[in-house]
Amino acid sequence: MNTLLVLPILVPFITAILCLFAWGHVVLQRWLSVTGTASLLVVGLMLLHTVNREGIQAIQIGSWAAPFGITVVVDLFSAIMVSITGLMGLLVVVYSLGSIDFERQRFGYYPLFCTLLMGVSGAFITGDLFNLYVWFEVLLISSFVLMALGGERRQLAGAIQYVVMNLISSSIFLAALGIVYSVTGTLNMADLALQIQQVQQPGIVTILAIMFLVAFGIKAAIFPLFFWLPASYDTPPIAVTAIFAALLTKVGVYALVRVFTLIFVQEMDGLREVMLASAALTMLVGVFGAASEYEFRRVLSFHIVSQIGYMLMGLALFTPLALAGTIYFLLHNILAKTNLFLISGVAQHLLGSYELKKMGGLYKSYPILGVLFLIPAFSLAGIPPLSGFWGKLLLVRAGLEIEQYLLVGVSLFVSIWTTYSMLKLWSEAFLKDSPQTDRPAQGLRQVGITLLLPIMILSLLTVLMGILAEPVVALTQRTASQLMNPSDYIQAVLKG
Amino acid sequence: MALIILLGFIVIPLIPLLHRWLGNQIGWVVSLLPFGLTLYFASYLGQISRTDKVLMATYEWVPSLGVNLSFRMDGLSLIFALTISGIGTLVFLYAGGYLKGDPNLGKFYVYLTFFMASMLGLVLANDILLLFVFWELTSIASYLLISYYHSEEASREAGKTALIVTGSGGLAMLAGLILLSIVTQTSTISDMFGQADAIQAHHLYIAILVLISLGAFAKSAQFPFHFWLPEAMEAPAPVSAFLHSATMVKAGIYLLARLHPILGGTAEWHWLITSIGGITMLVGGYLAWQQTDLKRILAYTTVSALGIITFLLGIGTKETIKAALLFFIVHAMYKAALFMVGGAIDHETGTRDIRGLGGLRSVMPITALGAALPALSMAGIPPLLGFFGKEVIYEGTQHADWAGLLTFAALLGNLFNVTAAGMVAIRPFWGELKATPHHAHEAPWMMWLGAVVLGIVSLGLGMVASAVLPLLQQGVEAVYGHEVGELHLGYAINLSLLLSLITLTGGIILYYGLEKLRPLVAPYDLGKRLGVAKGYHALMNGILKVANWEGRLIRHTHMRYYLLVIMGTLVITMGYVLISQARLGIDVKIGEIRFYEGVLALIIMIAAVAVTVAQSRLAAVTALGVVGFGVAIIFVLFGAPDLAMTQFAIEVLSVILFVLVLYRLPKFRTWKQRPSTTIRDAIFAGGVGLVMTVIVLAVISAPLNSRLTPYFAQASYVEAQGRNVVNVILVDFRGFDTMGEITVLAIAAIGVFGLLRLHEGKPLQRKIYRGFPSMILQTAIRYLVPILLLFSIFLLLRGHQEPGGGFVGGLVAAAAFALYGIAYDVAAARQALRVRPILVIASGLALAVASGLFSIPNNKTYMTSMWYDRNLPALGHVGTPFFFDVGVYLVVLGVMLLIIFNLAEQEETA
Amino acid sequence: MEVLLAIVIGVLYATGVYMILRRSLVKLILGLVLLGHATNLFIFTVGRLTHAAPPIMAEGEKVLLPPYSDPLPQALILTAIVIGFGVQAFAIVLLKRAYQTVKTDDFDTITVAH
Repeated sequence: MNTLLVLPILVPFITAILCLFAWGHVVLQRWLSVTGTASLLVVGLMLLHTVNREGIQAIQIGSWAAPFGITVVVDLFSAIMVSITGLMGLLVVVYSLGSIDFERQRFGYYPLFCTLLMGVSGAFITGDLFNLYVWFEVLLISSFVLMALGGERRQLAGAIQYVVMNLISSSIFLAALGIVYSVTGTLNMADLALQIQQVQQPGIVTILAIMFLVAFGIKAAIFPLFFWLPASYDTPPIAVTAIFAALLTKVGVYALVRVFTLIFVQEMDGLREVMLASAALTMLVGVFGAASEYEFRRVLSFHIVSQIGYMLMGLALFTPLALAGTIYFLLHNILAKTNLFLISGVAQHLLGSYELKKMGGLYKSYPILGVLFLIPAFSLAGIPPLSGFWGKLLLVRAGLEIEQYLLVGVSLFVSIWTTYSMLKLWSEAFLKDSPQTDRPAQGLRQVGITLLLPIMILSLLTVLMGILAEPVVALTQRTASQLMNPSDYIQAVLKG
Repeated sequence: MALIILLGFIVIPLIPLLHRWLGNQIGWVVSLLPFGLTLYFASYLGQISRTDKVLMATYEWVPSLGVNLSFRMDGLSLIFALTISGIGTLVFLYAGGYLKGDPNLGKFYVYLTFFMASMLGLVLANDILLLFVFWELTSIASYLLISYYHSEEASREAGKTALIVTGSGGLAMLAGLILLSIVTQTSTISDMFGQADAIQAHHLYIAILVLISLGAFAKSAQFPFHFWLPEAMEAPAPVSAFLHSATMVKAGIYLLARLHPILGGTAEWHWLITSIGGITMLVGGYLAWQQTDLKRILAYTTVSALGIITFLLGIGTKETIKAALLFFIVHAMYKAALFMVGGAIDHETGTRDIRGLGGLRSVMPITALGAALPALSMAGIPPLLGFFGKEVIYEGTQHADWAGLLTFAALLGNLFNVTAAGMVAIRPFWGELKATPHHAHEAPWMMWLGAVVLGIVSLGLGMVASAVLPLLQQGVEAVYGHEVGELHLGYAINLSLLLSLITLTGGIILYYGLEKLRPLVAPYDLGKRLGVAKGYHALMNGILKVANWEGRLIRHTHMRYYLLVIMGTLVITMGYVLISQARLGIDVKIGEIRFYEGVLALIIMIAAVAVTVAQSRLAAVTALGVVGFGVAIIFVLFGAPDLAMTQFAIEVLSVILFVLVLYRLPKFRTWKQRPSTTIRDAIFAGGVGLVMTVIVLAVISAPLNSRLTPYFAQASYVEAQGRNVVNVILVDFRGFDTMGEITVLAIAAIGVFGLLRLHEGKPLQRKIYRGFPSMILQTAIRYLVPILLLFSIFLLLRGHQEPGGGFVGGLVAAAAFALYGIAYDVAAARQALRVRPILVIASGLALAVASGLFSIPNNKTYMTSMWYDRNLPALGHVGTPFFFDVGVYLVVLGVMLLIIFNLAEQEETA
Repeated sequence: MEVLLAIVIGVLYATGVYMILRRSLVKLILGLVLLGHATNLFIFTVGRLTHAAPPIMAEGEKVLLPPYSDPLPQALILTAIVIGFGVQAFAIVLLKRAYQTVKTDDFDTITVAH
């Protein structure tokens, strides 16, 4: 039990180390990483089961009592996020087997993939703010390398922007940590939740809240800090983009939710308007950007931004229902958006391009691929009864309950334009006849099962999450109520 | 009941298989589904119409959100369900003929079945959110069916327009439904019936009404959303017959009828619904009259008919509700039939333009019959059911407030209907036979059956009109919300009959005057004048223009401006807080500044500024180095030797790295920039600096909260066996951080390796690095290397007690190998190392992880330190943190060598 | 001294930010390094300065006797420095590669898509 809590970090870490020992043996690394990510999924589900049954779990690394050492703490939110990390890790690794070129595999793709998951899981389970910084850096450096690995021109250009933005974000985060330690004398998040109320200068706490909002906001890609995302997400191989889309901005959202529900609860009053405005603008700029694009991956990248707006909306509304909406949306979005990226990769494989103008005819030639696309696409557009609908329902209802009519209006308007974008992709890549008459349709089989299986699983999950929404909705509601009542969290950490 | 309703969804996966087995014969087999459903619903006719019974079934779906699979069958639902399944049966059959030989016939039936199941769900749902789910599904089905001929751009665009328009309305409606459920605390429709007064008194009532109506209007093609419906005529004829005349477009009307007992009866309802319905009725009729394309005429008359029903529901008396429901039935039958006929004509002759059609009754006699009966019903001629449809409308409007105006409006609307009936049923069939693109002959039975059956049913029901009364009665009561007394249908000589006669005569005159009148009114072409479709497209394009502007801006803006935006956000928000919050309480004494500290600070600042103005790379790097060393000295001065040592080492490495890497880069380029740019950047930069300075001052004015420090001072040696507290924190108290830290280093090194060795996706060869082979250097290095290695181990060992540790030790060891490489060559240094640097890194990481695992068999948390309880020679007191530090040492060694070796051996590509 | 250091920190941030706003990639990297120094010094300063002894116990003692400087910020900065170095090393090589591949060190040319 005790050890289970560190496994989300150790499992991918040990997998990465084994992959390093197996440097040069690509086949071995493939097996190792598939096994490792599958194990991470199992660990995540076991944690979820345990936390669901026995409440929030915490351990003190090295047996040093909180707040002196580092605490690992898993509540429902963490457990859910670790599980989904394991799932996405497994599916994207399988997809990578058939889509990442041999040279990249030879130069460390798999160990880097594993350290990325290690950093992400670490960020989800740590109870220490500085330790969070460390895991952020682990996932960031992994993502830097994954983004640049291969050294293609566009990749390098994308990577530079991505690296610079994240370095700035990190240095803001780090400076904020310095202040946190100075004014509260602690880095333990639960302890901090208590100590922050003792700080004599409210101005400094506000400054801190803003610094965290900006630092995490850059990572989450909220308005006006999102520019790096559309500039870089379309440059690496599609499997890399897919795992980034699945997890990276979401870590930013996770961190925002965590610090603003646990530590800066009081500051929410002052920052709420800012967050609401940012949420609305994030939704709008993302969806407009997508409407202007005619490149498959770039359309999807802008939609990441737009969807982050919805998640921020839930946090800004700050009611249990809204927070449940944020978490539900997070899960739904990870499944649907990653799937769309994976499908774009298959489309590129079949048609040789990501440019919508050069694509077409997929539905005629590969009707099953069409259905697999429509499921996440309509889900993203919030069409019932797919998963996205429930997320939208939760958020819209939460917004209407507290009379944030303007924001709800914006979110619904954005929903229409999301539909518009999805129809554009469908219409251009699938419905219209292919402009490439010289490229004969091959069977879908030659795409290979490693590419198709993850897509099928994700589409199936999107449908199930919609039709059998109850367990997920109930879980997100329990998660939200845990977040809104941080005393359990604090007690679990500080009790021993 | 739920299972039957959802049956359609269940059989969908079978349809492609059926298509594979049966080919073109699939039509009549699939038709068994709607046929069976018709029988099923018909079996409830007796129960529901005679016993006032309402069938309910509820299953939990998402109870956390109060959404249930709750169904309810009453008179209103049953009228709709029978229409859907009954007309569905005929359309399913018709499609088998119409699309015979189409390879996508299987897909077509999938969509059609999907639609029918969704539509049935919609009219039977007893939960507004469940209703919304089906509502959206019908929109999706409609989209898929409109864009069925997806090679055609017009089809794709029409589908998109339909979905965007109905979808937008749907979202407004969603907001309205959610508000309604917030107000009523339930989403079950039957639970809302009792709360009508409370809802109508609520301050959100108007919002709810308007939002829900928007959804209904968009779906039922009410003005100004009506334009999507004619565009949707790109769909195959069966789709137009089924979705876009008989059923789906009636969903909005159904919703208004369904919610009438809850929302209806107020002045707001009356004005909103009646006026929109009335306008739609007139606009639709007028536009229909100007068309020459069969399907478009039918489409606009459908708009008009939808307007009439909405108009009647808006008035909301029992007479008008009766009229609305009866007219719904009448319209569904004749319009579906006429669309099927239109499709058959198009299919057989190759044209739908009425100007090119004539005399078809001689070659398509059965189709002509199939057209004639419904058209008579449409024109309201007895004894068809359509006659009563018209009679009850006039009866309703006469007894409402504003009777004169409403009746006149209804009269106008009906007039156009009569004309249109002539246009679609007389023009193509009578007169001389005209030459058409295809040689016309009778359509196959599957294609005329539907129209003929519907025509005969209209006739039959018209002859025994009382047959529809029991069901109609239940339907009217469901909509009206109260008992309405016994209804009647029959012939009587009264004002209504007179109005009917006027309608008929006027319609006939209009029909014959058509050719002459059309050019006269052409300049006043409402279709173009109103230009709602244009307005919609202009709106979409306008928004797209904004989007494109944003897209271009984002694509073409240099990243530096984004950095500016981020810095700006930070400075403005924090600056605002700093200025507005006077409670920062900055209170610092300048205190004593020792002379050398002042000089040091000055040097750092000058060097930092020098970096910005340096004209060459070397100067800039040197200045930067000065800053780094200056910072290191500050660390020394203020009691942080470990920090200083690390900072020095890193600084040396950074300078080396810069020189190695930047060696081949071009000279510092300075682009001509407008002075304003420089000033702007300087202001931003200065702003950031100023804000940070103020923050430092504010923070250090607060009392220091050092709750943790005494604990470390106490526990460091007693519990963690180390005198160097910083090192103990690094390898024990916060060893977890360090584990992450060495991981970062390892990944960075692998990244550098990958960057240097993979270029444009292809591996680069190693270049042989010769070093500076000189005898003296080699000899010196030969002695120096072992000494350095020993020193590194010394640093490692003493780290726990004195400044030093794995990190610095690893750096020194790496320096030894690097020097060896310089003196000999990198190949030799690699040989001296014996293992690949990557394996050194892997071993280090493995050791670090493993050192934490020892505690687990002892039932302690991960990374709990374990100590061997005796002192070992040379090593002293040994415990797991020591192994951890050895791991750090190895990782640092491997990382440095991986970077240095590969930098030295890199192949230049530029 | 704190006041003086606060100013030094401000200057380091200002010069760092100014450098990352330049067009040259090399200057960008130099700017990031300056920001790194600024941040480290920032943490060090807000963690309070003392001219006290390093947090290392003398031989034979079992507890650390005041006055000593706070070891925790030191440990944090040390971790941050090392992490920063790793990232910086990668960034430098990335920059070099970008220059060799794109054939320019003009930040504007590199970062405008297509």
